[in-house]
Amino acid sequence: MTETMEHFDEDLDLRASSKLSADLSSLFEPPRPVPPEVDRAVSDRIRRHFVGGKPLEIQHRRFRWAALWKVAAAAAVVIFAFSLDLTKKREPATDRPALTGIEATDIDLNGRVDILDAFTLARQIEAAGRIEPEWDMNGDGLVDRSDVDTVALAAVRLDKGVL
Amino acid sequence: MTSDRELIELANKGDPDAFEALYYRYRDWVYRLAWRFTGNQQDALDVLQETFTYLLGKFPGFELTASMTTFLYPAVRHISAGIRAKRRRFASDDEILGELAAPEVDGGADRGRSELAAVLAVLPDEQREILLMRFVDDMSLQEIAIALNIPVGTVKSRLNRALRTLRDDRRTRDYFLE
Repeated sequence: MTETMEHFDEDLDLRASSKLSADLSSLFEPPRPVPPEVDRAVSDRIRRHFVGGKPLEIQHRRFRWAALWKVAAAAAVVIFAFSLDLTKKREPATDRPALTGIEATDIDLNGRVDILDAFTLARQIEAAGRIEPEWDMNGDGLVDRSDVDTVALAAVRLDKGVL
Repeated sequence: MTSDRELIELANKGDPDAFEALYYRYRDWVYRLAWRFTGNQQDALDVLQETFTYLLGKFPGFELTASMTTFLYPAVRHISAGIRAKRRRFASDDEILGELAAPEVDGGADRGRSELAAVLAVLPDEQREILLMRFVDDMSLQEIAIALNIPVGTVKSRLNRALRTLRDDRRTRDYFLE
């Protein structure tokens, strides 16, 4: 009988010892479990997908909030700039890390380091959400408000801001 | 426990946790299946990630018409074939079975599995695949038919032949004794 002509009318007897399933399963068991880094990679991909894939209404609301944040940030940066005496050379502040050598992280994973990363970090800290060790920008062993300042300043210095 | 359909509905509304729950629910099954098709851990992990990336791409707007396994099975099968072809490290199922059957043939349990593997190796691919779908993946005949896009009658026929071979072989007939 050819494959295309196969037809089976009899009652199929599927009875078999449970050992058959167990032995077949063990024959085809991978030698090692899924490593956690694969789970993390998949999880990151899921988060990124859904951040960009929310329904239209939610996206719109997010956009407006983002716009407000940008305006607020622009104002803050302008005020900050005017509060400094830019004509006066100063010694580097001892209580603030030098920005040279700081590799600011793309916290919101939008492909660039900008002021939005500072906002993302601030929100994560305030919400006590996910905190990554690499977000300790000033290397003091803590991820806190001072790291937000560091990212904000780095974003401005790097001239990659969205403002 | 939240059903697959409920998780899908939540994921369609933009809930990443719901999708992640689906990932953890089917991760090991997909990985084992991928390992079965590829016989290589790295390839199996690549297939695992690509399968869920493919599924992710269906959201929002994903509709489950049958079960998750019937949706995922052909995806894993297709992606595995693609990865094997791409890497040109084609290992046939017989070669995989040969490797699995090799160790400790004189041990008790291992010997039984080894003999089972030897009998599996003589089964035609399409019979062995359906046997594994039924007895390893615990898929119903209907689900197998949907996953392979073949009539249920063909599933029954192939499974009947595979089981007959196992029943008739002295090395595996003990699996069928009452």
